[in-house]
Amino acid sequence: MAGATESTLVSEDTTETEAVAAGAVGLAAVLFALSLAAMFELVTITDPIAGVPMVALLGGLLVLLGLAVVGFGVGSRLGYVATDPRPTAGLVASGAFALVWFVVGGLVASQTLGLGTAGWVVASLVTGGAAFAMSALPREDIGSTLPAGALAAFAGIVFLTGVIGPSWVWDLGWEQQASFNAEFTIPVLTGFCSLLVGWAAAKAYGGFGARGRHIGAYVLVYLNALSIIAVLFLLVAFTVLKGLPGLFNGLAFGAGAGPEVTLVGVTFSLPLSWPFVMNGVALLNDVNGVLPAIAGTIWLVIGAVLFAVPLGVGAAVFITEYADRGRFTQVVEVATNGLWSTPSIVFGLFGLAFLVPRLGNQKSLLAGMLTLGFMLLPLVVITSRESMLAVPDEYRDASAALGVTKWQTIRSIVLPAALPGIVTGIILGVGRIAGETAPILLTMSGSVAPPGSQTVDVVGGFQFSLAPPFVTNPELMRATSALPYQLYSLITAGVGQSSNIGAIDEFRWATALILLVVVLGFYAIGIATRYYFRSKLQHE
Amino acid sequence: MSETRQTADDGQTTTDSEPDGVSAGTDQPLEVTSGETRERTRDAWVEHEFEGDAKLSVSDLDVYYGDDHALKGVSMEIPENSVTALIGPSGCGKSTFLRCLNRMNDRIKAASIDGSVRLEGEEIYQEGVNLVELRKRVGMVFQSPNPFPKSIADNISYGPRKHGDLDTGLLANLLGRSDDDAVDELVERSLRQAALWDEVQDRLDDNALGLSGGQQQRLCIARALATDPEVLLMDEPASALDPIATSKIEDLVHDLAEDYTVVIVTHNMQQAARISDQTAVFLTGGELVEYGDTDQVFEDPQSQRVEDYISGKFG
Repeated sequence: MAGATESTLVSEDTTETEAVAAGAVGLAAVLFALSLAAMFELVTITDPIAGVPMVALLGGLLVLLGLAVVGFGVGSRLGYVATDPRPTAGLVASGAFALVWFVVGGLVASQTLGLGTAGWVVASLVTGGAAFAMSALPREDIGSTLPAGALAAFAGIVFLTGVIGPSWVWDLGWEQQASFNAEFTIPVLTGFCSLLVGWAAAKAYGGFGARGRHIGAYVLVYLNALSIIAVLFLLVAFTVLKGLPGLFNGLAFGAGAGPEVTLVGVTFSLPLSWPFVMNGVALLNDVNGVLPAIAGTIWLVIGAVLFAVPLGVGAAVFITEYADRGRFTQVVEVATNGLWSTPSIVFGLFGLAFLVPRLGNQKSLLAGMLTLGFMLLPLVVITSRESMLAVPDEYRDASAALGVTKWQTIRSIVLPAALPGIVTGIILGVGRIAGETAPILLTMSGSVAPPGSQTVDVVGGFQFSLAPPFVTNPELMRATSALPYQLYSLITAGVGQSSNIGAIDEFRWATALILLVVVLGFYAIGIATRYYFRSKLQHE
Repeated sequence: MSETRQTADDGQTTTDSEPDGVSAGTDQPLEVTSGETRERTRDAWVEHEFEGDAKLSVSDLDVYYGDDHALKGVSMEIPENSVTALIGPSGCGKSTFLRCLNRMNDRIKAASIDGSVRLEGEEIYQEGVNLVELRKRVGMVFQSPNPFPKSIADNISYGPRKHGDLDTGLLANLLGRSDDDAVDELVERSLRQAALWDEVQDRLDDNALGLSGGQQQRLCIARALATDPEVLLMDEPASALDPIATSKIEDLVHDLAEDYTVVIVTHNMQQAARISDQTAVFLTGGELVEYGDTDQVFEDPQSQRVEDYISGKFG
């Protein structure tokens, strides 16, 4: 089968070589997962696994994989393995390999061997050029396996020989004292090399050629997508793990355990005591909590949504349905896009300089709501407009042909059809504004760690009188706290260290967790709403 | 710019594409599809004698899309309670003509319309015409089925509810003035008229988008009938449907002609011959070439071009 270039229509049962190649791909995936785990310190690189230190294990696996991949390439070239390679690995792969080896050569020459500028440039050019020639000139099976396998084997040997060991530190020699340590470098190198050999092994599994390239790309894309999900999951899990101890401090169940509340004139005790979300910060509290900040955040988001959504949707209706498409709509579009990319601190300054002096001349919940509403407005306009444009014109024609007026068509046909899109926009916007710190800092922040008695009660704050303005709500005019602001000031300003918050670290992480839960809660509400409206539009 | 000239001696109309390029004596229009015979159109070809009143009378209707002269001096009278088919090759202006009859062309900004369309003697292109009322009286069904993403019953009752004829809102319900029974009755009547009742009576609250293409189109017809129109305009209602659904629509059109004036655009000449009482043939350039009794137009066309078109020599 030397130089087998003919391909069969029906492939035989899985051959041994294919099984070994698939095993190599799987091993590369495991290695990649290990490197991720090491990066996030789920495992430390010095820990022994089955008696072997982690570094040695990683190095050994890399050498094994590198040799296996090179073995595949050589075996295919010599005709021991039936494959269908192209004449060359291609310019992109060659260029990538050249770049990688250029960097490797340069680093080894300058950092390990300590050569000067001329030395590392020459070494870089030699290794880079060799890698390019190695992958571009020979047939694809050699060209795509040899440089990858060699790199993995080289990295493995470096780990095994302890050139880069657990105590290794790369001092960059800059003024700023920057350095990379082994805890970071080893996982990164391992992850990169495992991706590279994984790709080469996947190509070998596909027998090179078009099918091999397809499988190689598939493995790369798949591993990357998985790693993104893993990062997201780790981030949430990290926050949850760190936040849980502080969150459930002093949790108690049972009749009469909780604080007394008055609902519709009836006073009773809640059967649950959850100090962290039911208390503020006060001297006499057993466990301090963030109730004022939670209430502040929730009311902020509600106020901003109530302010921005009607305005934004109305503006979008006007520019999509009524205004002639022309210069005016273009200007509005550019303005809304620009407003959406305006930094939040600018909105905050606007709120401080414009809203605060006009609304009672003090920082207040209302000023915060309006400032965040201004921030939310452009996204609501943009997404509402997009989703209204996506409503097919056939609906408008059909409605017009039935003799229904434009406004009724918009209200009964266009808006319902656009609602899922509008809700998506609101979800995205709420996700942004709920976590904003700067505008809150400037427009509504009160004390850093407010006591529970300072919780805003917007619903209960309404006061009615016979004289104008008839309805007032002092609660809206009060400075209060919000979760992101509280977190920010607890961390940066060091406030709270001195006050009576006991375990400050637990308190911070629990606050972060509560913020995450509140934002995700708004997300969940939004997604459920969107699902509801969408299911009304679709059959089944 | 083209213009239409009346020659004094024989009353014939000559349509030219260029005013100076061709003199009044030249009887060949310049714009023809390849394969078309060149000939002069005659007024007599578009005269259709019928008993009873004309529901719609169109005279000298010109439509421009920007600089494009889409419809040239079309005049025709459409009799009451009958099926009138409009046929012709693509781009001949038959859909444009149809959309002029309920002023749907107003929705296209580039379109300008010149001429007269009278619905029972009342000019619809004049100041102060109530488009809501006009479109209630002249309903329309489009080429591709376009039910709203609502329930079947809501689709039917949409027009009357929005006109304020029926009120099922929350307030009406609270005040005990809700027209729920009238709505149910209307839904059933309209669906029966559109021959859809038997197929959907068990799932009136399901989303209309779950129906098949043919059912959706009949739902659109039922929706148009629900506003109780006098005229029903249909723009190739069966072109997107399979043969079985098409034949159902054709039967339906035939039945509807007893109570309604139906004007139907179609690409399918057999369909026009099967279902229509009179046929108008539009040919390239936006002119009405021949209009008359369907049997006469298909069996003994007066125009050579119409004969060529019908026999499939071009278009």
